[in-house]
Amino acid sequence: MQKTFHLVISSVGETYFDGQAVSATLPGSDGELTVLPNHEPFVTALKNGTITVRLPAGETKTFKTENGILEFSGNRAVVLL
Amino acid sequence: MASLKSLKIKIHSYKKTGTVTKAMQAVSAVKMRKAQERALSGRAYAATSLSILQRLSGTSDVKRHALLQTKTGKTCFVIITSDKGLAGSLNSAVIRKAEAEILRLNLNKGDVVIIGVGRRGAEYFASRGYEVKMKFENVADGVSEEEMRMVTDKVLNWHEEGEISTCIVAYTNFISTFEQEPVVRQIVPIAPEMFSLLVKNIRPAKGKYSPIPVEEKISAPSVYTIEPDADSVLRILLPKLLNIAVFHAHIESKASEHSARMVAMKSATDKANEMASTYTRTFNKVRQAAITREVSEITSGIEAMK
Repeated sequence: MQKTFHLVISSVGETYFDGQAVSATLPGSDGELTVLPNHEPFVTALKNGTITVRLPAGETKTFKTENGILEFSGNRAVVLL
Repeated sequence: MASLKSLKIKIHSYKKTGTVTKAMQAVSAVKMRKAQERALSGRAYAATSLSILQRLSGTSDVKRHALLQTKTGKTCFVIITSDKGLAGSLNSAVIRKAEAEILRLNLNKGDVVIIGVGRRGAEYFASRGYEVKMKFENVADGVSEEEMRMVTDKVLNWHEEGEISTCIVAYTNFISTFEQEPVVRQIVPIAPEMFSLLVKNIRPAKGKYSPIPVEEKISAPSVYTIEPDADSVLRILLPKLLNIAVFHAHIESKASEHSARMVAMKSATDKANEMASTYTRTFNKVRQAAITREVSEITSGIEAMK
């Protein structure tokens, strides 16, 4: 079975994505980064750009980000926009 | 005794008023539910940002950050009230609470700047000689995040420039449909304890949305990498936390406003119905008296003719 992690992308008033993902590519402040399931716990600041999320079904979804923060812990990633 | 016609007019107007207040009650009920739902949608966000802050607070960088330190300068009050009245003592309660806080902190009028969200509060403080720096009116029930960000950005700006040292929000906390509580909360300098209290209070104590699901509990891993460094993460995170605080204060106020109005309108409807039935009774009595009088006049006329 494919490994997945729980990804939440939300802003103060709205949740844009909440579900399982295979991987997510984000614009980190030190360059682009991709997170996979079971990544070590970390926090990073994000630059302006787009987030690409690959879903278990093979689809991809993109979201715009501006001054976000990514937190990964316990196989759960949260992007705060 | 009043004439039949004037009584009829009165009954009619009471009934009409009752219809209007009943409609307002129904509208407020729907709006209240929407506001509550919105308050909850931001909860996961608030909980996550708080947990990041808590984890970072172990590092020394956090304590050095400007937003967490006390400076000298004016005190900014963000007064969140409604634009319209007909909501019982909601607005006056917030205003009283803010005034009490100004007294408690021993501040002069010159030391206070006001950001008025909602017409009532802004007008009150403006007419009493306080400096109202910013005013928002007709804020939609949905409460757009951009509008709140304008408040937060201004506060951050002033704080950075040294114009203000402290920022306090005065708003109404939604406890249940029948219970709202005016509160004042200091948001700048940021105190992590305040925010954990805030996150806890997002959910109302009673009603449909009260139970807290287990998954939202904050878990802290022992190892934690911060990239690129704590300072740049904090620079983004702290304004976000502030934004959450302002946003939630607003959402809570909206939910309170609508439920207070709903309750006020319910009692107005009840009173209108009561008045209408009292006057209907008087109307019937007057009408019966007139009939009785006429009948006795006729019968006495017949008697006299015999």
